[in-house]
Amino acid sequence: MTRYQVGRNSKKTLLAIFLGLFVVAQVFPLLWVASYSLQKSGDLFGPELFKLPVNPVWNNYVRAWFDGKIPQYLTNTLLVVIPSVTLSTVLSFSIAYACTRMQWKLRPVAWFIITIGLTIPIHTTLLPNFIWYNFFGLIDTRIGLIISYVAFSISFNAIIFSGLLAGLPFSMEESAFLDGAKYRHILPSIIAPMAATGFATVGVQTFLNHWNEFIMANTYLMSEAKRTLPFSIIRFQGQYSSDYAVQFACMTLVALPPLLLYFIFNRWIVAGITAGAVKG
Amino acid sequence: MKNLFSDKKTIALLSVPSIIIIAFAILAPLVVSLYFSFMEWSGFGAVTFIGMDNYRQLVLHDGTFYRALLNTFLLMLVTIFLQNPFAFVIAAILTKLKDATSRFLRTIYFIPATLSLVVVTKLWVSIFNPSYGFLNKLLQGIGFQNMQIAWLSNPKTALGSVIWIMVWQGFGWALLFYYSGLMTVPKELEEAAKVDGANKFQLYTKIIVPYMLPVIQSVIVIDVISSLKQMEMVYLSTEGGPGDLTQFIAVYLYQKAFRYSEYGYGNAISVIFVILAVFLTIFIQRIFRERSAGKKRVGA
Amino acid sequence: MYRKIGLFALMLILATTVVFAQGAKESGEGETVVLRMGDNIPDRSTGWGAVIERINKEFIEMHPEVEITTESYQDQAWQEKVKIYATANQLPDVMKYWSFSTLLQPLVDGKFVEPLNMDTFKQYGYMAGSLEGNVYDGELYGIPVSADLWVIYVNKALFEKAGVPLPESWEDIVASVPKFKAQGIIPMVTDGKDGWPLCEMFDNIQQRISGSFQPVADAIDRKARYTDDNFLQTARYIQNLVKAGVFQSDLVTSDYGASRNLFGQERAAMYMMGSWEMGLATDPNFSDSFRENLDVIEFPIVEGGKGGSDDLLAWFGGNYIVNAKSEHKDLALEYLEYYAKVFPAYAWETQATFPAQKVEARESDTIVAKKLLDIAADAKTTSGTPGLDRSTAAFKETHQDLMRRLMSKIITPEAFVAELDAAAEKAAK
Repeated sequence: MTRYQVGRNSKKTLLAIFLGLFVVAQVFPLLWVASYSLQKSGDLFGPELFKLPVNPVWNNYVRAWFDGKIPQYLTNTLLVVIPSVTLSTVLSFSIAYACTRMQWKLRPVAWFIITIGLTIPIHTTLLPNFIWYNFFGLIDTRIGLIISYVAFSISFNAIIFSGLLAGLPFSMEESAFLDGAKYRHILPSIIAPMAATGFATVGVQTFLNHWNEFIMANTYLMSEAKRTLPFSIIRFQGQYSSDYAVQFACMTLVALPPLLLYFIFNRWIVAGITAGAVKG
Repeated sequence: MKNLFSDKKTIALLSVPSIIIIAFAILAPLVVSLYFSFMEWSGFGAVTFIGMDNYRQLVLHDGTFYRALLNTFLLMLVTIFLQNPFAFVIAAILTKLKDATSRFLRTIYFIPATLSLVVVTKLWVSIFNPSYGFLNKLLQGIGFQNMQIAWLSNPKTALGSVIWIMVWQGFGWALLFYYSGLMTVPKELEEAAKVDGANKFQLYTKIIVPYMLPVIQSVIVIDVISSLKQMEMVYLSTEGGPGDLTQFIAVYLYQKAFRYSEYGYGNAISVIFVILAVFLTIFIQRIFRERSAGKKRVGA
Repeated sequence: MYRKIGLFALMLILATTVVFAQGAKESGEGETVVLRMGDNIPDRSTGWGAVIERINKEFIEMHPEVEITTESYQDQAWQEKVKIYATANQLPDVMKYWSFSTLLQPLVDGKFVEPLNMDTFKQYGYMAGSLEGNVYDGELYGIPVSADLWVIYVNKALFEKAGVPLPESWEDIVASVPKFKAQGIIPMVTDGKDGWPLCEMFDNIQQRISGSFQPVADAIDRKARYTDDNFLQTARYIQNLVKAGVFQSDLVTSDYGASRNLFGQERAAMYMMGSWEMGLATDPNFSDSFRENLDVIEFPIVEGGKGGSDDLLAWFGGNYIVNAKSEHKDLALEYLEYYAKVFPAYAWETQATFPAQKVEARESDTIVAKKLLDIAADAKTTSGTPGLDRSTAAFKETHQDLMRRLMSKIITPEAFVAELDAAAEKAAK
């Protein structure tokens, strides 16, 4: 073996160790929680660095599921997230189309309003919306929450769509116009399919965001019957403050759906980012 | 043909709903916020007009506000100058690996970014816990028997720990952006550079980084915005403590309004916060525009 | 790609089915009256929470059309919620709150609280002074639920393990720190994240040093200054306790549940908390050995100080109030009266907490319960409402915040008293 090759090999090993360590840093905390979620709470106080669940206590999950009211919170989350994701995707596609492919005088103003939405932190609306939404009777309603979610996701989504749409040749619509087609036909059946990756990216990305959102739900929703999923963790901390294992089980349960979704769709997230934010 | 692209009815149909929603849920509340920022109000009871008093107090006498700004700024620096280069390097390595390995690693590295902030925060609070947390057990395991650091309570480690949680979760996004950007770098560019005799380091500094400037810009803009937007993690872990060492603006305004019952004052913070966020974003975009404009001139 | 779209569609359909199934169930319930309640007792299966659930159940049996929904958060979160609800006019019908001027007064001033009939509630055996604490402008606005004594819970087994006798003074505690630490035991825990337990300790140590609780009230009323020597000494004394390692290392970030848990999991020898935690002695979440070794002692003295261990920091804090804007006010008032009637007996029966109403001592009472009755009976002087709750909400927050700073050593005792005094001055205006 030449010296060159040795150098090359050890460099490769170093690289592998480096990347491997990084994998550990990103994943280990999750494994740690998942592992102790299957043990007795007392085990956590043991001297071992890390202990695998030899006799898994599945009952922790049963308790987390029922006492954490996960079915109810899950339903509530879906009742908010499904409409908000659908609305946000459709609306941001529409506005992106109008602002990238159509010509009108107020276009720069409209686009400015959209992009300004990106820079305004959600939290600055928490206090005033309290009064504002209350005035319209939107406090403690799902609609109120959906409106906020949609408003804050349109901007980013529209930017992704506009990156995609700007790349399409104008001949697409032109030839359709010549055939006498109208917009209500062109948009859903010609343009939208061309932006399919955009829909996937925006859909998944918005879903993750809204699924995980906490502070607006915490502030605007009051009745127990409407609370969303992240709440089960907060609720658990009080109710089972002495039972870390059940708390961990609850965390794992809440973390699972977005993870699954991500594993299924992860290629689209990359595709959309490349097409939208990077090129656009 | 032309007038089909500027068909008024279609334009209205496509754009008005979005604009109404944004105006209703983002812009109008800002006006409400501005109104209350001139008032003294506890959240219920009488509303008293006090003019600029809230702003005067905030700008001239509120140390916590400046601490929050400083922390936000620190977080920006950390993400821009530590997290970003790191993510860039890893992304560059990933583009050189075998497809399957690269995909596997990308999937893993992005996992934290998919998790709910509530989960992430509670996860790290547990890991940092001095009695049962992993980190102290690790320290003791490698020989520091008497080390028992309360990571989130110790004034020396609290801010670092909080920032670490934020960076840990944000890393996946930076990596994803850089990776996607690097995949668009044309192969010819690299080959041309090799023909010119550039080594690997030069290839990156002279060719790829300049090519990637727009991507780097978007990532930095996103970093700045998301640094400003940090709230939940602090709210659910240290609540800004010990003292105000880990205070962030969004948490502070929330606490002022709903804990200290100084709703007007909270709104004044809100208003300053919006102005700051908008200006900072514009400022950064301006810097990049000038730089890239300068580049072109030099190139020409 | 199409397979994925199909998969996604399937997930969506499944999700929608679940949602509609749930929705159908919700709408099919017919005419029920929902009574919304809220409190700061998240654990509903044991202790105080179980007592409330029992009362709720009996109340529903009397009124089959009623459904009760309860929200519970830990203290700080609950207080924050109440402020938010009040702003949005969404307060629960009946809720647990606190009688203090920092908390109840703003709600009373905002006309959110229904005045109660004093004569109705007088008959339920309330301790002297407890109902009066809920009177604002001559009207009764809440019923007291607990008598709160500030004490130290101890785990005798851990004292034995470390070879340390039960302490009489804080100096004893400081001296025992190395022995506890050598056994891997945390000497003392309390809830530092919320701050108020630290403020109680501040008042109490002040008394142990100066010999009287009066200076606190005087400082709030501006007849004395927080910069006076007794307060400065107190601040120094407390910071030295932290430096000596008396408390858990993550004091200022461990909340109520976390600190209680450290004690219950037998990691800490002492737990500084109020008498409402007497339910620890019967809490099935913790081990038998813990419950058997649990005892309670008076707040220790300071050597060389003028205060004795029989001077008691005690007050009537927690109460129950009715929302004046409730749609079911009559029902809410009826519930409140039922609560007043049965609570002391139920609470004492399960030894869940120390009620503000007279209870019958029994042979079968836990050691902790017996000791608490003794401590209350033997008290030479009592403090009344703690300092942090005698002023405004902003003063309370500042006081708590300053205590956390003092105890994480990022502020000197001198700066601490100066800032506290400034806050009291601002609040008095």
